[in-house]
Amino acid sequence: MTANEFYGPELAQMRLAERQVLEAVEELQRVWKAQGRQSPVLYTSSRIKSPESMCRKLAQRGQPQTRQAALTRVRDAVGVRVICGFQDDVYQVARWLEDQAAFSVLETKDYISYPKENGYRSYHLILGLRAGPGRGMTVEVQLRTIAIDFWASLEHQLKYKRQVPHARLVREELRRCADEIASVDLSMETIRELLAGSF
Amino acid sequence: MRLLLAEDERSLARALTVLLRKNNYEVDAVYDGEEAMAYLGSGNYDGAILDIMMPKRDGIDVLCQLRRQGNRLPVLLLTAKSEVDDKVLGLDSGANDYLTKPFASQELLARIRAMTREQTVQATSRLQVGNITLDRATFELSSPTGRLRLANKEFQMLELLMCNPRNLISTERFLEKIWGYDNEAEINVVWVYISYLRKKLAALHGNIQIKARRNAGYYLEEAI
Repeated sequence: MTANEFYGPELAQMRLAERQVLEAVEELQRVWKAQGRQSPVLYTSSRIKSPESMCRKLAQRGQPQTRQAALTRVRDAVGVRVICGFQDDVYQVARWLEDQAAFSVLETKDYISYPKENGYRSYHLILGLRAGPGRGMTVEVQLRTIAIDFWASLEHQLKYKRQVPHARLVREELRRCADEIASVDLSMETIRELLAGSF
Repeated sequence: MRLLLAEDERSLARALTVLLRKNNYEVDAVYDGEEAMAYLGSGNYDGAILDIMMPKRDGIDVLCQLRRQGNRLPVLLLTAKSEVDDKVLGLDSGANDYLTKPFASQELLARIRAMTREQTVQATSRLQVGNITLDRATFELSSPTGRLRLANKEFQMLELLMCNPRNLISTERFLEKIWGYDNEAEINVVWVYISYLRKKLAALHGNIQIKARRNAGYYLEEAI
């Protein structure tokens, strides 16, 4: 099934919502550049959740596998990811998005300050678009550092593997790597502050 | 405070046990090196007094195995000979101090106090101050909200601070102990590492802080 078939007439509005959030991030980059500051954003990516993945999620939650449920029972049909260099930048971008008049913050989850048991560290924002082209839509934004993004791309594979050899060991080692990466992220941030002379 | 006394002369062992108990120490007395190693394996001691000349395994042997296992328990060696070689071998094997027999009981007590002073030796490999735990086996720094893995030198610095809470540790001491005497590391490396640790303690919502005393050094304090 294509996204068009599944989401039908709503798809256009979803794409507008996706675009609107990406543009809010681009606006931040313009503002910072105009102020002569280095952009806190390294790159962004976005997606409309595939019908297969959406149906799997709806089924898991005991929801009907319909367009209606996809847009009201699940809040990540539209997803935007923002990758930053440093943890501090992640919080700056999050503040910027939270302060946008067109967005209302429906939920925040700070897995950077409060990491998940498996080591996962990201900042999640659920935005309700109350004005602008994507009005009425909900968008999930995930913000994280590039080092943790690298980690997450490998951890992600674990979720879709049915049989993982030495699963416990692999999970423990991934967690250890996340704890090391987060530690290095903080060291890098310290060195950046040292270079900026803000000690 | 719990001490292990390993001394094969029964009468001396008895006298020392009475003396130490009178001075409010918990004492377990054993009479050979093998027994000493078995008792120390429980990890329940704050210090050990080992006679060098013992049956089965001598005091140096026990000490060496202890240190090989990464155990930093304060150890005082008792030696019947006042030979320099014995003292050097004992100290180089990781003893904190030594005493030559015969000795005055006052001196023994003073040396035990000195070697156990401010040493927060715990039964497990974990050090805890405030809401922060440092695992010496895994280098993991954790709090109720999360955890991080420290790099080798960061770990050693925090270990030193956490073993001596509220005690000032000089910048030179960090440099000597962690980077080594001969190293050409510049002195600024110490405050760079202190900065890493401060950032990491803050990220974990730690209620302990590394404070600086100008031109002197650093100490660990529980935040108010």
